[in-house]
Amino acid sequence: MTNRSRTSTRGEWTLSAPSINGGSVPMRDLSREEVDVCVVGAGASGSVVGAKLAEAGFSVVMLDAGPHWDPTRDFVSDEQSSYRLFWTDERITGGGDPVELGANNSGRGVGGSTVHYSMVAMRAHPEDFRRGTLDGPVSGADVRDWPITFEDLEPYYEEVEEALQIAGPTHYPWGRRRKRYPQREHELNAPARQLVYGCVKLGIPVAPAPIATLSAPHDGRPPCVYRGFCNYGCTTNAKSSALVTYIPRAIRAGAEVRPNAMVAHVESDSGNHVMGVTHFRGEGPELHLQRARCVVLAGYSIETPRLLLNSANSSFPNGLANSSGCVGKYFMVHSGNQAFAKFPDRIGQYKAPPPGGAISEHFNRTIPDAGFIGGYTIEIVGPHPCDFASRMTAARGMWGEQLRRTMLDYNYWSGLGIVGEVLAQESNAVSLAADEKDLHALPVAHVRFTFHQNDRKLIQHATAQMTRILEAAGGSETWTAERTAHLLGGCRMGNNRDDSVVNSDCRAHDVTNLFICDGSVFASSTAVNPSLTIQAIAARAADRIRDMAARSEL
Amino acid sequence: MPDDFQSRYPGYDVLAKATSPDWDEQTWQAVQDRITGNPSARFLTDAEVSTLEAIVDRILPQPDRTKDHKVPIVPWIDAKLFHDRRDGYRYDDIPRQRDAWRLAIQGFDQTARTLYERAFVELDSARQDEVLRRVESGDAPGEAWQSLSASRFFKSVLCVSVVKAYYSHPTAWSEIGYSGPSSPRGHVRIWIGGVDSWEPHERATRWDTE
Repeated sequence: MTNRSRTSTRGEWTLSAPSINGGSVPMRDLSREEVDVCVVGAGASGSVVGAKLAEAGFSVVMLDAGPHWDPTRDFVSDEQSSYRLFWTDERITGGGDPVELGANNSGRGVGGSTVHYSMVAMRAHPEDFRRGTLDGPVSGADVRDWPITFEDLEPYYEEVEEALQIAGPTHYPWGRRRKRYPQREHELNAPARQLVYGCVKLGIPVAPAPIATLSAPHDGRPPCVYRGFCNYGCTTNAKSSALVTYIPRAIRAGAEVRPNAMVAHVESDSGNHVMGVTHFRGEGPELHLQRARCVVLAGYSIETPRLLLNSANSSFPNGLANSSGCVGKYFMVHSGNQAFAKFPDRIGQYKAPPPGGAISEHFNRTIPDAGFIGGYTIEIVGPHPCDFASRMTAARGMWGEQLRRTMLDYNYWSGLGIVGEVLAQESNAVSLAADEKDLHALPVAHVRFTFHQNDRKLIQHATAQMTRILEAAGGSETWTAERTAHLLGGCRMGNNRDDSVVNSDCRAHDVTNLFICDGSVFASSTAVNPSLTIQAIAARAADRIRDMAARSEL
Repeated sequence: MPDDFQSRYPGYDVLAKATSPDWDEQTWQAVQDRITGNPSARFLTDAEVSTLEAIVDRILPQPDRTKDHKVPIVPWIDAKLFHDRRDGYRYDDIPRQRDAWRLAIQGFDQTARTLYERAFVELDSARQDEVLRRVESGDAPGEAWQSLSASRFFKSVLCVSVVKAYYSHPTAWSEIGYSGPSSPRGHVRIWIGGVDSWEPHERATRWDTE
């Protein structure tokens, strides 16, 4: 693949895609071409790679297993109607602490999980990329440095923050000194004010959260009106999801975004070279081949390993790009424990969307003498009634008349949640289920996860701090809920081909023209919401692919 | 007994907002289906429905409402099973969704018969609660519980499904003062104690009389 080869492969503008303001926009049809780049997954990371490479002049096809959402029509202001946004095909979850999947941490459809994510846009810290050097080793865990540094990602954090127009405080008190956020912070909502009151009383630093939602008009999109349904799809386009930011850029630059295209296999043409992907379209049984000079996987920590394992061939009997045996392993989550308290004043949790949130990274560091390494971030949460009642019944074992009576005070409860570091362990892994297949007869994923002792100590510390903060703010009847958030690892990056899947350029050690640029490449979990780091990694990978192509290395 | 569930927002009806700038077309459609559609069972048998209704009545009791005015719960569980609409994951100690619900319903009856020599539906509510508690703690006699984790099913599947069905109904929204859908208007008074004029009020304010 070179920069010049692309002029010969140009599809016609015969397709259309939903526009973000209703109606449709023209789109190229590249299904019969051998494209320069085929991206699998049109979510947080795939959209960034696709848009940047299309803008650089490459022919790009982006495949997604789900629909191409029309934000003006497809999103409903209702909890129960939003299951379509999540990956609802069967997956099996197990291990000592089985991870809740589905709505908790998956997306399906163009825009991926950014369509319903909480938009907290944080940079990881320089220390996060040097965990092994600073805190390792830890018995039973795999604590290591990344093959890239914070400095490698810093310009890409800035690039993505600009593209998403992050709204944040003038001064953000943690991490490396940074330039101002593109937009001003949002007004604080009630749970955020309670977090601020509690922290101020206890002397814990706290700040408005940086959020990927507009606080001022930008590029034809309006500022947020605080509907509170961020986790169910934004109907006003204030939310800077991939669906309304990078995807329109990609289509404008000539990429084809192909929805309802479930990829079955990455196809190899020789031992260390792939020639495209085969995929289903809708529920039809036929397999379609999309030929490509370069394949980029962006399906996140379960579907990317599953696709590689399902793409085993004679050269890679244990899964494509898996000579290390690491595909699917070192799978991580964040601890996402929450705490709730009842307050004397009305809160209105449903009006507590992430814009308007506050945050404390005070404990996001290894705390001396705490007995564990790593840290956690404290944020606000604002569950709607189904979600809140589900957490109460699951966490407190509350049912019967007591549950219904407690729910009468729904508007008086306020909550906090953490994003806590989880250490990588080889035994936490995604594999193929032995006897369970999806509707296309592809083996589904079996996810096994157990917390490390370090993770449990961190959770204990964090829940105690959250409880203290809520009580300092005037809350009572505090209770806590066990929970996890996000998915990370499963195809980690590293310098050593024996214990990692991709190198620092996100290029598979084993396959010259295969890249992985999603959250599965994380070598450690960090303790902040991962989307901005995922998108910064993808933005960097796109530049590396462009440069390698220019040097005829692909 | 009915006083036990006294709402802070008497007389509030979230559906009165249905023609306001808070309800777009697609949301109205989704919620309307929930109010008018009360499908009869298509997956569960009549006997299974009776047992499940008795279980659900203890998890989310509605003694303050006549039979016709109760928020329907079992029909929505049945609809989910009929369409086999999954959640995106299942625990590896619980069988596939349809099998799990069938087994669990049998399990409640087996536990009831072992402890009290009666079917679950024939027990008084105190004994029904005791059966539920035994299942919840994973200490329930009954062959069915050999093939699925009783406590996991109770906490992570049964209770969660029941409360989600109940609290997705506008009657429950009105009861707890949940303002419900808010698109495209959104909210303005998002601070502590802030209440917009289009949200439920606990007592008459100047907004209500204007």
